[in-house]
Amino acid sequence: MANKTQLALIGGGPGGYAAAFLAADLGMQVTLIDLEKNPGGVCLYRGCIPSKALLHVAKLINETEESSKWGIEFSRPKIDLDKLRSWKESVVNKMTGGLGILSKQRKITYIQGRATFLNPKTLRIEKMDGAVEELSFDNAIIATGSLPTQIPSLMLNSPRVIDSTGALALNDIPKNMLVVGGGYIGLELGSVYSSLGTEVSVVEMTPGLLPGADRDMVNILTKSISPKMKQVLLSTKVVKMEDIGSGIKVTFDGENLEQKEQIFEKVLVSIGRTPNAKGFGIENTAVQVDKRGFIKVNSRLQTDEPNIYAIGDVAGNPMLAHKASAEGKVAVENIAGHNVEFKPAAIPAVIFTDPEVAWCGLTENEARDKNIEVKVARFPWAASGRATTLDRNDGVTKLLMDPKTERILGMGIVGPGAGELISEGVLAVEMAAVAKDLALSIHPHPTLSETVMETAEVFFGQSTHIYRPKR
Amino acid sequence: MAKEFTLPELGENITSADVLQVLIKPGDMVSIDQVVMEIETDKATIEVPSQISGVVKEVNIKAGDKAKIGQVIFTVEDSSSNKEEVPSDGTSSKQKASSQSQGLSAEAKEMIISREEVKKEANIAEKPKAEAEILPKTEAKQGGIIEVKLPELGENILKADVLQVKVSPGDMVKKDQIILEIETDKATIEVPSEVSGTVKEVFVKAGQTASVGQVIFTVAQEEESSSAAGEPAAQPTGKTDASTLEAIDKSIIDKMTSPEKEEKVVKPEEISEQKQAETPERGKETSKEKLVTPEKPKLYIEERAQTDPSKIAPAAPTVRRFAREIGIDINEVPGSGPGGRISISDVKAYSREVSKKQKQALEAPRVGAGVPAEQLPDFSKWGEVEKRDMSNVRRKTAEHLSYAWATVPHVTQFGKADITELENLRKNYGKRAEAEGGKLTVTAILLKVVASALKTFPQFNSSVDMQNNAVLYKKFYNVGVAVDTDRGLLVPVIKNVDKKNIIELSIELNKMAEKARNKKLSLEEMQGGTFTITNLGGIGGTYFSPIVNSPEVAILGVSRSQFEPVYIDGEFKPRLMLPLSLSYDHRIIDGADGARFLKWIIDAIEQPFLMALEG
Repeated sequence: MANKTQLALIGGGPGGYAAAFLAADLGMQVTLIDLEKNPGGVCLYRGCIPSKALLHVAKLINETEESSKWGIEFSRPKIDLDKLRSWKESVVNKMTGGLGILSKQRKITYIQGRATFLNPKTLRIEKMDGAVEELSFDNAIIATGSLPTQIPSLMLNSPRVIDSTGALALNDIPKNMLVVGGGYIGLELGSVYSSLGTEVSVVEMTPGLLPGADRDMVNILTKSISPKMKQVLLSTKVVKMEDIGSGIKVTFDGENLEQKEQIFEKVLVSIGRTPNAKGFGIENTAVQVDKRGFIKVNSRLQTDEPNIYAIGDVAGNPMLAHKASAEGKVAVENIAGHNVEFKPAAIPAVIFTDPEVAWCGLTENEARDKNIEVKVARFPWAASGRATTLDRNDGVTKLLMDPKTERILGMGIVGPGAGELISEGVLAVEMAAVAKDLALSIHPHPTLSETVMETAEVFFGQSTHIYRPKR
Repeated sequence: MAKEFTLPELGENITSADVLQVLIKPGDMVSIDQVVMEIETDKATIEVPSQISGVVKEVNIKAGDKAKIGQVIFTVEDSSSNKEEVPSDGTSSKQKASSQSQGLSAEAKEMIISREEVKKEANIAEKPKAEAEILPKTEAKQGGIIEVKLPELGENILKADVLQVKVSPGDMVKKDQIILEIETDKATIEVPSEVSGTVKEVFVKAGQTASVGQVIFTVAQEEESSSAAGEPAAQPTGKTDASTLEAIDKSIIDKMTSPEKEEKVVKPEEISEQKQAETPERGKETSKEKLVTPEKPKLYIEERAQTDPSKIAPAAPTVRRFAREIGIDINEVPGSGPGGRISISDVKAYSREVSKKQKQALEAPRVGAGVPAEQLPDFSKWGEVEKRDMSNVRRKTAEHLSYAWATVPHVTQFGKADITELENLRKNYGKRAEAEGGKLTVTAILLKVVASALKTFPQFNSSVDMQNNAVLYKKFYNVGVAVDTDRGLLVPVIKNVDKKNIIELSIELNKMAEKARNKKLSLEEMQGGTFTITNLGGIGGTYFSPIVNSPEVAILGVSRSQFEPVYIDGEFKPRLMLPLSLSYDHRIIDGADGARFLKWIIDAIEQPFLMALEG
């Protein structure tokens, strides 16, 4: 006799649990299935949250070094790795435990186990305790997320080659490490290890770090991050890796290479993430997968099987926790019978390096690619009082505007705290604010948020702290 | 702070009104409830009181304009209104927000209901049109320009004659809007557009021959990359992952996201059909009987991961959601805010506009029971033509009479009444009526006669309820009198005619006619009639066949009386004869009854005592 549920959620990450909670709040009977003991998913267990805890530590260490300029000298910090690890774990446990309680309070049936579709109406669940049960459902939401991308030819079965999960496990602090892939995961984790004392090298196949992000912003980051890295190899490919016992011998291919072969104690492979759409029986349903491995969904997050939805990383780019949560809510609202579509004007992206890089809405790259006419206003943080007090004049705030309507189409920020500042841009884009709206909204002094207001003033050539001669 | 006064709701289904008079000008002081303008809706003239007070700053409307519900009529300067704008603390703004969101869904529901009713009607009306409809092929050019080609028309058909091109450059076309009418050997075909956007260029003209595959026109697309517009390639904002992935090695990725699943046979037709059936799409129009090219289900991430804000209408998320709820494409809504920002009220105004247009499309061009309007020829070929918009009164009259003419099977019975004696009485008692402020006209007397006749023949005071196969007999006697005014035909109704004497009736009739001519009639004064009298005697003519003022079932037409030789008692005598025309609804009134009814009226006129005796 199979159990029955109104809504089955497969995957308890930020997409899955957000959806489950809303569904329960709307009065649905919900079953949430995940491999972990509590909801949280990659984001909480092996992603956003632990990496941010470690980046916080990295920032502190960096600042103790920078402070010598201001007359404050610290001695080299002593790092108790076990303690650091257990603090990171306590952060994770606090968050995931909290979600477990929230889930119980909402009377959600949480099953720790692995779900497989038997047909479009039934799941088979292998519970962690060994029991197997069948669960029939009215609707299901697939929120299985993504996995670190692996290159089979380069994947050595060696403990010296790790992915983001291994890096976050913080087993040791190697003397040196190669980060394969100059995307946000590589740069964030590379920064952590660099602060902890590892000599970090980054290899990126394209000519710049953070492919896809606007170059003006990346350049600022590159300038700031490069001195902390041993080497940043751009336009360079890894063609071979070999475990030679004492380390991994890596063979590079690229122009202007000084050493084609180098030996690293550890190699972190962070070349992106692959949607996790396999191995749970979607072939037993009409759910379709596209060429890149994403489950195909419409703007209501509905798959080709009308009662099955897919959200988050498995349902398409960008693979971001907050996008997954937003999609989860849209899926649930549709299931509840509302006429709702996922059509945001802006999804913010944040890279938690130092300085942070954040953007939302339209980027200059996209504007160029799509032939969208935009006017860009930039406000360099050299003119910001707050940035100067932080001794961080390296940032910039920029706005992309429609030249005709002056509507804010996008925002980009580089600098400490960019991740917090970007939300104002999201609101501006979503509300269809015009440049004047931002210029006329009083921002508190002295804060970094003032740069947003002043960037809008730059658009009109009237920024208080920048003099622009009249033409 | 400036405050705005917008045209308030005027009643069910009324979306706009003609402005007759504006009673304020900039600099005036207005107070609440002061009448600021006079407007005219379908038939009533309404005095609009202000709901705000202050010094008038701007007046945005003038006599002769059409004003829409919700339109800003004027603004006032008001120094005391600051408080209202800025909530003084968190709680009040929160309260406001929550009450607003609650109100929103209720409102949304209301709008959906009203629009769906219209749609239902539209669907019914659309059905008789059973011409083949084919979707044209579209192809994307760079920069959002889409070429629309003439689609396959059927086996062995390579060409078609263009009968009519329904768009011209600069027009906005919507998906599924008919853009072209063509004729092949076999059929006339209406070609709907598969894309929405602004027409850039039109390459065909009526009278030309178009080949299958030929570009008919180009459209600059505004939103949603059409499903036909090329393969995936959608790269949403947060690119990091995807591009890194791609950058590393494409071949590897292909291997990893491997193809087993790709090979599974996709049955897009079935899937998309199923989807349409199962997805509750409230807003979308239902029951499309069109050949939709089944190549690709209307789905998928390529289409949706559109986070390019320049493609998203400039409206707050709540506004976009509201529009979707009530089935309005936010991209079609004109924004009134800075940078074209769309507010909730813009969406509502647009929604009303759409409903109205749908209604008009339903009513105006169709003659009564769903007969489509014939296309007018191009009169300018033969001489100068001046185009004027119909006034509301004219439009309503046209619609109403078309309906009556098309639904009521008319029979007109003619007869003559000898009013020689009546005329003498009228002259004798005319002074008395005048002294009381009335005018003892033939119509006033006829009102009384008709009331008595209606009591004697109740089926003439009824209405036909075809939906329920019933006849509704009314136990009140309200007689409408057609009045010729400079704005057109108006029919004020004299209520409870049976309970008033002829002097009273003459006074009321006089007053009503006066009101009608001075545009002072209220809507109420034109409703509730059970029978109508139309008197053209003042102008001339012998007989005419009036149209029954449905849902009434009979109307009495009165023409000019004349002296005629009447053969009485072996000789011709000059008698004053009044020609009468009684049109009636043959569904409920038989010919014999019609003749009897008219005869009864004639007898009553000739022998007024009969009224007192039988009426």
